[in-house]
Amino acid sequence: MTRSSFRWIGATLTVLLLLLAGCAESDDAADPGATGPAGEATVAGTGVPGGDGTATAGAATEAGEATDTEGATDTSGEEGPIRMGAVLDITGPGANLGGPERDTLQLLAEQINAAGGVDGREVELDIRDNQSREDEAATQLTSLLQEEVDIILGASRTGPSLAMRPLAEQAAIPMISLAANQAIVDGSEWVFKTAQNDRVVVEKIVAYMQTQDWQTLGLVRDASAFGEGVADLFRDVSGDADIVAVEERFATDATEFTAQMLSLRSAGADVNVIWGIPPAAATATQAYRDLGLDIPLMHSHGIGNQVFLEVAGPAAEGVVFPIGRLLVADELGDDDPQKEVITTFVADYADAYGAPPSTFAGHAYDAFQLAVQAFGEVGTDPAAVRDYLETAELTGISGVFRMTPEDHSGLTSDALVIVEVADGDWTLAADQPDGS
Amino acid sequence: MTETEAAGVLADDRSDGGMRMTTGGAAQRRRLRRDFAGLAVLIAGVVAFPLLASSQLVFVAVFAGVFALAALGLSLLLGLAGQISLGHAGFLAIGAYTSAILTTRYQQNALLASVVAVGVTMVTAAAVGTPILRLRGHYLALATLGFGIIVAVVANQWDFTGGQSGIFGIRKVEFNGRVYDDPSEQFWLVWAAVVGALILARNLASGRVGRALGAVNDSEVAAETLGVDTFRLRLQVFVLSAGLAAVAGSCYAHVVGVVNAQAASFLLSVELLLMAVIGGLASVWGAVVGAIFVRALSEALTAYIPRVVPGASGEYQLIGFGVVLVVAVIFLPGGFVSAGTRLAGRLGARRRPRTPVSGGGVTAASDHEATGEAAPLLLRAGRPAVGTAVLLVRGLELHFGGVRAVQSVDLEVRTGEIVGLIGPNGAGKTTLFNVVSGVLPPTAGTVEVGGARLEGRRPHAVAAARAARTFQNLEIFSSMTVVGNVAVGRHLRSRAGVVAGALALPARAEERAIDAEARRLVELLGLGDVADSPAADLPFGRQRLVEIARALATEPDLLLLDEPMAGLSAAERAGLAGLLRRLRAGGMAILLVEHDIEAVMALADRVAVLDDGRRIAYGAPSEVSDDPAVIEAYLGADAEQTTLGGPA
Amino acid sequence: MTGPWPPTSRTVRDRGVIDFLQLTVAGLSAGSAYGLVAVGFVTIHSVTGIINLAQGEFAMVAAFVAIALLAAGLPLPIAALLAVLVVALGAAAVERVAIAPAAGSSVVAYIMLTLGVSITLKASALLIEGPQPSALPAFTPGILSFGGVLVRPQDLWILAATAVAALGLYGFLERTVTGKAFRACAEQPTAARLVGISPSRMSTLSFVLAGVVGAVAGVASSPVIQTDWNIGLFLGLKGFVAASLGGLASIPAAIAGGLLLGVVESLGAFYISSGLRDAIAFFVLIVVLVARPSGVFSTHAGVRAGVRAH
Repeated sequence: MTRSSFRWIGATLTVLLLLLAGCAESDDAADPGATGPAGEATVAGTGVPGGDGTATAGAATEAGEATDTEGATDTSGEEGPIRMGAVLDITGPGANLGGPERDTLQLLAEQINAAGGVDGREVELDIRDNQSREDEAATQLTSLLQEEVDIILGASRTGPSLAMRPLAEQAAIPMISLAANQAIVDGSEWVFKTAQNDRVVVEKIVAYMQTQDWQTLGLVRDASAFGEGVADLFRDVSGDADIVAVEERFATDATEFTAQMLSLRSAGADVNVIWGIPPAAATATQAYRDLGLDIPLMHSHGIGNQVFLEVAGPAAEGVVFPIGRLLVADELGDDDPQKEVITTFVADYADAYGAPPSTFAGHAYDAFQLAVQAFGEVGTDPAAVRDYLETAELTGISGVFRMTPEDHSGLTSDALVIVEVADGDWTLAADQPDGS
Repeated sequence: MTETEAAGVLADDRSDGGMRMTTGGAAQRRRLRRDFAGLAVLIAGVVAFPLLASSQLVFVAVFAGVFALAALGLSLLLGLAGQISLGHAGFLAIGAYTSAILTTRYQQNALLASVVAVGVTMVTAAAVGTPILRLRGHYLALATLGFGIIVAVVANQWDFTGGQSGIFGIRKVEFNGRVYDDPSEQFWLVWAAVVGALILARNLASGRVGRALGAVNDSEVAAETLGVDTFRLRLQVFVLSAGLAAVAGSCYAHVVGVVNAQAASFLLSVELLLMAVIGGLASVWGAVVGAIFVRALSEALTAYIPRVVPGASGEYQLIGFGVVLVVAVIFLPGGFVSAGTRLAGRLGARRRPRTPVSGGGVTAASDHEATGEAAPLLLRAGRPAVGTAVLLVRGLELHFGGVRAVQSVDLEVRTGEIVGLIGPNGAGKTTLFNVVSGVLPPTAGTVEVGGARLEGRRPHAVAAARAARTFQNLEIFSSMTVVGNVAVGRHLRSRAGVVAGALALPARAEERAIDAEARRLVELLGLGDVADSPAADLPFGRQRLVEIARALATEPDLLLLDEPMAGLSAAERAGLAGLLRRLRAGGMAILLVEHDIEAVMALADRVAVLDDGRRIAYGAPSEVSDDPAVIEAYLGADAEQTTLGGPA
Repeated sequence: MTGPWPPTSRTVRDRGVIDFLQLTVAGLSAGSAYGLVAVGFVTIHSVTGIINLAQGEFAMVAAFVAIALLAAGLPLPIAALLAVLVVALGAAAVERVAIAPAAGSSVVAYIMLTLGVSITLKASALLIEGPQPSALPAFTPGILSFGGVLVRPQDLWILAATAVAALGLYGFLERTVTGKAFRACAEQPTAARLVGISPSRMSTLSFVLAGVVGAVAGVASSPVIQTDWNIGLFLGLKGFVAASLGGLASIPAAIAGGLLLGVVESLGAFYISSGLRDAIAFFVLIVVLVARPSGVFSTHAGVRAGVRAH
């Protein structure tokens, strides 16, 4: 019986080993440029001197695919490919943001590599999907740090970005978030962001309210970190403690909004603001119209993509919201400093993917360009890149960035315009506060 | 089929389902050796793995370890306690959040935070388990599922838990200012916990608690009447399994550095369930094998599906989980470990030829039969003096709807006497037994056992008052050996609880004593030749003897025997009668229900006759057998001339 | 991360009654879908003793099939009917492939089987349709006002579809020979077997019937709830809560349970907290299971759930 029991253990172990071997093989198979079995990699990852393992033709790597773990992981060296890691909300409630952002990064990486890379160094992208989950974002970031990337882009939304921030700070690797909430960069050392701060968005809304002579607003906000603290921001920016007449929230995957809309109806504010992202923000807009609310409706910059128009349909008509200039590129005056950048990007993106880019794609564009600009100027030493980014200036899609050591966002409310939905499309609103 | 029968383990009817333990020297030693060898290999693997594998692979393996911890808890719950939980991720989340909040808000050390987290989770589990573990089957499954969702919703909504984004910036494990955040270090920390948990779970399953729960899975009513407090044990295992989930949650929090409501998600509960089931519930090893398999499957599917289905995005690896779950339940009900064991069994030596299961006799009786003077047997210090009433039934009533199954019955059984209880079929004898032993609550009346009022109390309380019973329709623990069955009877006479059992060492001496005592009783009932055979393989008559040995193992003062003679050969009957006389001589009180009236009249000091739920006669055998009411009850009004068989 | 708990604050309401009615309408609309899914649970459970955790997925699949057929150019009514038919056949296939081979298994095994089917369907939908939600157009556009209470025509469609499906099922069970055999199988399984009714055929039939009512729920509610791959989970769970409220035994009680749950949720979301909406249903579930396992509409309470013989 002893013999059989050893066989039993042997059988189990064999199964386990086969499973593990299966894993290792999948790593190899996923990467045509691998120079040896995955099992040979050293734990400490001290790095192989640069120069080898760069034969990979297409540098952009799809989400979820393993990449070369052996070759050219030398971060301090200034040779070999530049490794950019991205953690985006490609699936889940943030998919409308992360999808276009991934496409943008891939497009830009192809463009820059076709043009000879940065200082002759190829750009390698490793894009991960965080499934719109904070914990998965942290996991993927940790995994990327194992790969010794030179910079982190992402995440698409505030929650996952906040989850990633302490890890990037601890690892002392620069990170550029694509999300809105100012908390992402408040007091940060290594973290930057390209989406307009929610604070400047609130400033814009409050300014617009003043042009319309509206005193109070009813707020229905996303229950995620994106909507966190928005009511306080309104009070703070307007200096009016009573500006928010009512505050309700909804889950990012909510489908039923009657209760929240009735609250708005009861409050009877001058204007109502739905602060969220599609599809929930769009479904909420439908519910708003279905319940016959005729008070003006504003949104945040979270709805700047085609999905909002598709899901909300006719209910979207007349919605007013602040957003970057990308959506109304064709209406921009020739003197607009961003006109050229935006027009080129829109054309390239539409050329590659057959549809116009969303504003989120613009956030990814800006992050990528900031990173490339830094690498071009100071190489890939993390501290040097960080120092450079703290004074970086860029005429981008989301606005004209002027980073400072105190402001890791670099945009003011000038980066925004008020856009209105008319005839199922975006159009520049007639009234623009501050004459912008 | 009642759900009680079905609520047990995954594959009641088809193969080795639950974590059932066979007591018995050789089998136990074999198991011990196997487990030691397995552990040695596992530990060697854990030490070596990070040195050999790539850091990405180690990172994946860290998560396999984290989830193995939770799956192990779930596997104990399913395999050992026969209870399901579809909301186990809820406990994982409570552990993770507690740990996260303590380290981020109150700057506590990660280790201390983890300990507190496990404590908080176990208290929560006790509070939640107390009401919902009274549910069975589907209802329990859905209630636990609801619990998991409530945890997720509250975590999402409550500002204290960080709302939808959760809590981030959780500190890694730190000792003396050194941060352990390298994947290899995390791997060793997590897998050390897995090895520890595995040892605890293995000890628990193979000790007193595991044996009792195995008995419950075979026959809940029999286990209860032997003193097993089913509900309490199940609750304890539930709490323990929640504690393991909390350990996993704590590890998760400190490895990932972020906790949000996804930790309580239904899909994670499903993943844990899949790990436990695919690995196999029959052994604690199953959960570990399952966790490694499921994580590997998940990684592989995440990598491969996008090649087959371009543009695929999201948690599409679930499709593999779904298919594997269905296929496993249909084709692999015992999981990998069970399949491996079967395979090994087929490859290895053929099974020992089955021992003959007939023959033998009740050895204790034969010696003194001739003299008529029975030598006392199974005396117990502290037993009430001969003549003390240990069973007092007064005015007992039991109604089922409109049917009065038992009507104002009085009964008294004293130490040192045998009381026969007879009556035609359907007279209410077994029903009376069920009320006395706590299986059914009476409608009215009182039951006093050993001086304590026990009517309406659960069977284990009656057993604790030193009353033991057997069953007319056998309630043998079919997955156990004869000795194993009897060992369950020692439940009340041994003490190792969940904690001591898990730690094993304090329980070792006790286990040896239990085994010795069980073997002594098995010999006494003449079952020595089949001591290590599966009890279910015995003929019915000898299974009755197993039940008697099992009841005697509880060291009762009151023995309730329901038709013990049925199915026995003449020699065996004589032997049993001799045994009962010797027990009486030792001061035991015996209440005997029997169809064999001749035997009753020969044995009993007094006889009570039930008819139609009423006691129609009570007295010495000779008085009763002449009672016209009794004759009428048995033979109808016409049979005036017939008398019942008198004493020999 | 700071804020009040419970997380909403409100001003005084002046349109209380209309708000209440408005919420009730929303609750009835959502509750009808729960009720239909609950009927599916009852249908399968009464004959087989199985709780089909894939019940919500039947609704999800039906909605996606209808959307695909509509996109392929079929008129909406045809697309909807075909979707119901496809799901009914699919449900039969599920029963034959996954449930029948495991006949005689324990409750836990059946839980895992139907769970496996549910996850497989869900993930297949994700692979085919992607993570984005989509919806059928409203059967009739516009909005109706009843004394200030605004009602989407689709809400009326859902209520009507529920009524038709429930009455149709009821008629089938009461009036047809097959239906009577089905009821016999549920109420007196041994006797039914003795008179030659095949339990295995009735088991398949129960899945078909459950597929039909689930599909109707999915198609009718798609215009208002935005069908996505994961919607089946919550539809199924809430349907089960509704069925439990009704004691898992009767079709009218299941519908009533669904409507009650929908209204309680809707009112709770407004008067207690919109964020706790989903927790309300499951809190109700646990309280009902523990306190009154035979359902709130049943007359004989007190029988411990699960130890009842079937």
